[in-house]
Amino acid sequence: MQWMDWLLEFEAIVIFLGLALAFGLALGFAAVRFKVEGNPVAEQIDRELPQTQCGQCGFPGCKPYAEALANGESEVNLCVPGGTEVMIKIAEITGREEKPMDDSVDEEKPPMTAWIDEDLCIGCVLCIKACPVDAILGATKMMHTVIQQECTGCDLCAPVCPVDCIEMKPKQVTLKNWQWPEPQMQLEPKPLAELAEPAK
Amino acid sequence: MSFLTTIANKIAPIYPMAKRWLYKFHGGVFPKYNKSLSTRNPIYPPLIPNVLILPLPQAIGEKAEPLVKVGEHVLKNQLLAQADADANRKLVVPIHAPTSGTIAAIEARTLPHASGLQELCLILQPDQQDQAIDNALKVDGTWPEEPQALKDLLVHSGIIGMGGAGFPTYAKLPKQKGKIHTLVINGAECEPFISCDDLLMQTQAKSIWHGAQITAQALGCQKILCGIETNKPKAIGLMQKALDAVQKEAKSLPMEIHQVATVYPMGGQKQLVFEVTGIELESGGHAIDQGLLMMNVATLAAIHRAVEFGEPLTSRLVTVSGEGLQEGFNIDALIGTPFNELTAIARPKSPIDYPLIMGGPMMGVRMPDNHVPVLKTTNCILANPPEPREMQMPCIRCGECMDACPVNLLPQQMYWHAQGHEYEKVEKLNIKDCIECGCCSYVCPSHIPLVQYYRHAKSEIKALNADKEAKEIAKQRHEFRLERIEREKAEREARLKAKKQAVKKQASAAKTPSAAASAAKAAAAKAKAASAKGNDNKPLSAREKAIQAAQKAAANKQGQTDNDKKTKGQSIATAKDKAIAAAAAKKRAQAAAAKQANATNNELSTQTEKTVAEPDSQPMNAREKAIAAAKKRAQDAAAKKAQSNPKTETTAEQQKAPPQVEDSQTTDLSANDQQTSPALEKEQARKQAVAKAREAAAARKKTQQAKAQESITEAPENASDNEASTGIKAKPADARQKAIAAAKAAAAKRAANKANSANAQKQKDSTE
Repeated sequence: MQWMDWLLEFEAIVIFLGLALAFGLALGFAAVRFKVEGNPVAEQIDRELPQTQCGQCGFPGCKPYAEALANGESEVNLCVPGGTEVMIKIAEITGREEKPMDDSVDEEKPPMTAWIDEDLCIGCVLCIKACPVDAILGATKMMHTVIQQECTGCDLCAPVCPVDCIEMKPKQVTLKNWQWPEPQMQLEPKPLAELAEPAK
Repeated sequence: MSFLTTIANKIAPIYPMAKRWLYKFHGGVFPKYNKSLSTRNPIYPPLIPNVLILPLPQAIGEKAEPLVKVGEHVLKNQLLAQADADANRKLVVPIHAPTSGTIAAIEARTLPHASGLQELCLILQPDQQDQAIDNALKVDGTWPEEPQALKDLLVHSGIIGMGGAGFPTYAKLPKQKGKIHTLVINGAECEPFISCDDLLMQTQAKSIWHGAQITAQALGCQKILCGIETNKPKAIGLMQKALDAVQKEAKSLPMEIHQVATVYPMGGQKQLVFEVTGIELESGGHAIDQGLLMMNVATLAAIHRAVEFGEPLTSRLVTVSGEGLQEGFNIDALIGTPFNELTAIARPKSPIDYPLIMGGPMMGVRMPDNHVPVLKTTNCILANPPEPREMQMPCIRCGECMDACPVNLLPQQMYWHAQGHEYEKVEKLNIKDCIECGCCSYVCPSHIPLVQYYRHAKSEIKALNADKEAKEIAKQRHEFRLERIEREKAEREARLKAKKQAVKKQASAAKTPSAAASAAKAAAAKAKAASAKGNDNKPLSAREKAIQAAQKAAANKQGQTDNDKKTKGQSIATAKDKAIAAAAAKKRAQAAAAKQANATNNELSTQTEKTVAEPDSQPMNAREKAIAAAKKRAQDAAAKKAQSNPKTETTAEQQKAPPQVEDSQTTDLSANDQQTSPALEKEQARKQAVAKAREAAAARKKTQQAKAQESITEAPENASDNEASTGIKAKPADARQKAIAAAKAAAAKRAANKANSANAQKQKDSTE
């Protein structure tokens, strides 16, 4: 029986073809049935970003940067307000190499918020248009003010002010946000040579 | 004294931890109590200091609103600062004048808080008269029957938890009656040096019991338990006596005193509740959820005074004690009395140039300034001269802290992660349950300030969570903003469009009542234009057909033809020809348009909009202009057609439906009306597009030439191929043939008409 032999010879191929077909169908079904809307990696990165919407990364907000990162189109160290901490988290999520932050980035900068010198404000509404989180209150030819609780400190309003009345100030410490200082480890005992009285 | 107590006390000198057998909760330490420093002296007579400082913010909650002005004279118990309308939500506590005097200032002063921050305070200059408003809370002395009645009273009394946490009492009480089955009175007072509760129980035992009864009655409690540490035998005795008297006075619910072991921190809520009721509160759970309510003895006494006599909380018993004072004492100090005025009376051993401590040595905090005032939560002012701090050594992982922790945490692990700034891990170790009692620091052989680490970690975690929340809000606000901008843009566009349309309608309404009529008129104008040009003399019937076609087209609103063709077609094509196969021609024109899509993309995109927007309504003056423009354009086109012009294209042009021509013209005109320079640009663009189209046509012609042009059927086939490739639906063959025939006829006619004209001659040459 020639054809039997032929069939037996190709048994493995038939089996694997069948398996391939079965898995292909299963995968195809799963791809349709369990389709994930949006990019989960971008969402994950977006959650880690500081949401200042400052645009210092070169993208028009935190979400576009997260999406660019998820697509591998951007560097991991561009988030200035997030600093090294966020860079490390992004690198972990994207599985990419960690990159040091730009040297010009001041890591120890305290959280800032914008303050409008209300005497100088001319009511031009330019800052209102610039604010990414609608944290500035005011109307044309009326005094403007910053809603401190909503300000993310993105510094986008300061440069657009024609009279330079916006200033970035460190966040005020109140009873509500005051933090207990971290206890300082005592320094190592001084070497004896320093303690010894200088010879006269 | 049970047998176990005796045994434990016997073994204690050898094995100090034997004392831990005497109570239920885990851990705990046995510090040196030093309570006699202050208990050996009687309560100091009331003192009115030179100045009273009344901070507007309380330990918990928002600032109260001041009701008085600077320079105003106030009486004792007068309301100085009020809670807002919804005091329940913001936990605002009102402030009453502790004595009579004038408001000297409302200014920022340093608060008795570890931060050393300044906040607004009312500065009261007492006049030493102590004129009081009697029954300031306007009570009739009856005990409230409902929780809400008690709560309402307490909101105005300014009573907060006087044990240390300072949570407003009215906010602590549940709203429903019967939710609390057991009221626990906290008389443990476990911190060293502090004895104010002890003295209070000795002097105002009856008031405490009455306060407990008032609370229990209002809340519908079933029993009252009082926990007092065994190291206060005097207080226990007097409390028992008062209890007997109170119970004799009137039939009351069961009340009893529990003598609890002397161990630090027995006074903690979880610890004392477990001790007296046997109920262990779960992590993060409140006693209220278990039907338990704990109140400090001082709070209950204050409640009694408020309910019975309408007295707001303006003073409290404060222990002034410490190693640095010769005569420690307790005093019923007015709220707002500066610390240094009290310590000065206690005859300090040496001038107090070191920071005083508010609270006990275990949990108290060093004050940034010794002029800070007594608060409602200040139970002790401690003057302990600073001792040389022990050298902090590395953690040796001995586990002593773990054994001492009264809430079963893992202090060592928490310290480890807190030191490494891994606050998420610290959070996972339930640091929120830490009561900051300081037992771990107390037992640590390496003298690590563990509680400081936990306090820091706690505030870091709080800040991180606040950050996360702020991030979420910022994100939402940003997204909302983007959405809003998008919406505003759409709205603006819609508004503009509506306005434009309204203007158009207004203009056309006078002359052309219906769209069809206007289209017809437009067609007529077109015909006129053509006739004016002298190219064609159209019969009337042809015009009528053209009108019909125009109506149809207007209904369809298919303005998708390429405009350059229209301009050309306008000059050459005649209404008569178009009328022969209007529909077919339209399709053909579309096909041609698709072919030239690349060339005319920009134009199409800009013009299509307008064609769609204003297909039929055409103002009269616009029409006139259209005639002029058409003439001009016809001339242009004629000039251009001196160059090559493929056959297929010309047929398409010729057969293009008249309404579409109108449409395109309308757009052009409107553009001309509105702005001239863009119109010119468009015109140029169109010319360019025409040139490109010609190139494309030339290429196509080459392919056609291969087959020789004499056969008629082949050319449409080519055309149909092109149509198929551009994705335009194939039209029926007969229509196409008709169109071709029409095209041929038109070509012939044109040839006849323009026989004398050089342009036409050239054009024909090029076609061939």
